Amino acid sequence: MKGLWQQADRTPVTLLVALAYGTLFVLCDPWNAEQFGKHLANYGWLTPLAAAHGEAWRMLSSAFLHGGIVHLLFNMAALFAVGPALEQSVGSVRFLLLYAVSSLGGSIAVCLLYDIGQPVVGGSGALFGMFGALVALNMRSGRHLLSFLDFEGPRRLMGLIVVNLLIGFLLPMVSNTAHIGGLCAGFLVTFVWLVPGREVTADLRAWRIAATALFASLLFASVMPVTRYDWLWNTALDAHDPNGQAAMRRAAAMSFFGTPAASDADAQRFYEDVVAPPPKDESPPRGR
Amino acid sequence: MTGAAPVPVVRRSVLRLVPLAIVWLVALWPVVLWLLSASDPELAVRTAQLAAAIATQAAWTAGAVVLVALIGFPPFPAWLRLAGSRMVAAFANDRAPLMKALADLRHFESAARHLEAGRLALQRGELAPAATHLSRAVELDPSLPGAHHQLGLLLFRVGQLRAAIAAFARAQQLDPGHAFGDAQLLAGRSAYVLGDTASALRLLEDHQRQHGGSRRSHYWLAQARLAAGDAAGARTAFEYAAVPSKQRLTAEENWFRALAKVRLWRMRRAP
Repeated sequence: MKGLWQQADRTPVTLLVALAYGTLFVLCDPWNAEQFGKHLANYGWLTPLAAAHGEAWRMLSSAFLHGGIVHLLFNMAALFAVGPALEQSVGSVRFLLLYAVSSLGGSIAVCLLYDIGQPVVGGSGALFGMFGALVALNMRSGRHLLSFLDFEGPRRLMGLIVVNLLIGFLLPMVSNTAHIGGLCAGFLVTFVWLVPGREVTADLRAWRIAATALFASLLFASVMPVTRYDWLWNTALDAHDPNGQAAMRRAAAMSFFGTPAASDADAQRFYEDVVAPPPKDESPPRGR
Repeated sequence: MTGAAPVPVVRRSVLRLVPLAIVWLVALWPVVLWLLSASDPELAVRTAQLAAAIATQAAWTAGAVVLVALIGFPPFPAWLRLAGSRMVAAFANDRAPLMKALADLRHFESAARHLEAGRLALQRGELAPAATHLSRAVELDPSLPGAHHQLGLLLFRVGQLRAAIAAFARAQQLDPGHAFGDAQLLAGRSAYVLGDTASALRLLEDHQRQHGGSRRSHYWLAQARLAAGDAAGARTAFEYAAVPSKQRLTAEENWFRALAKVRLWRMRRAP
């Protein structure tokens, strides 16, 4: 118990995240198969559709939910393998920021690249972000950017990342998109912002501004996908001008069918085939 | 890096600014689409489709170019061969000799037996037990050059370079030319990595005089000479490392030969 308090003192964020994982998993009632999916949806699984229609908070909440006990245990193990050392290295506040940015990075990748109705849960986007942070820290600590590959530990880390990505490609229930999004976000935020004790040169300042702008812009694109068919159709419903409405409906049809132009008949076909039919049974959530 | 040819100012500016420009282009793209969609959503969708098609085509083309360049770029096939040989060695590395060495230790503890166990553990990549046994070997018999050498290898592998240099120096002191000069060579390499160019040069030049040298030692000597500002000397050493061989080289020697070829090519292109 004393050891746990000491650990909580040294790495509070890691322990809080682990606590959140466990608490939310229990609250979702995993022993009741009928209710589990509904609870995951209520507590914040992420779908690109929901993120674009007023529920952007799911981009963070989904990083604390898990689709099963195995999923939870795997992510807990990864969190405790990497989290404490990284938190002590960069500090608790920066670690929290890293976790949030990496989670958002994974969620942005899902929102931009995934099927709009496919739900995603899991903390491994953020965990891959931690791997990316470790790579960035190693790169920044050597004589030059690739000198870290001379040593055993960093080579094993790269191997671990590659193996986990390969597993993600092989298993259909795993969202590798979120893994890669989280990995890139964690790497970038650490490389540009979080390495402690670095001198801030003009180049670095320029990169910080550019990286922040990129992140903000991709976040904007995730919650306002202005060229995606669901967004266009919903915006058309709210438009007052009939010509504007018609143009948006045609644009929605263009976006859905992937054609460079669409007529009002195509828009009607889009409505009949996609918008009007009742929703099918929800597919099971993908894990990340 | 000292001694390297300076990159022209224009090329440096381009190398700095082009990646930044690409990042800004990608960052501004969603904003541009949003502004466009407010006035003409069909044009916005068409523009997004065109941009996606161009980006996909560009990614495939860039990927193909990179793949061809990597296959034709000497270090890549050499690296593949080196990675392959290390994987084969890892799979073929039986734990039985290590188990026997540990069993021998249980019967009777000695510096030599700790050294053997540590050496085998290090070969298998089991660094923690290797550290325990090698430290104990040094403790039991500080005059054993092999123990200091193996300890130095372990410390080098985990990045404790100053401690590695001390261990190699002790091995060299106890047995000059120990392991065909490997301790001296790695001490020189560690000094180079730490930025102590003078010590690195002295150790590596000594090694070359006493032991002739391999492609690996000449490559490292060339790097140290380049860091010290001796471009001509570096070129000579790179040329030695890059010379073709009638016999099949080991994977590691082949790797250093490939690296030396690239460095020579870059030196010849520099003004």
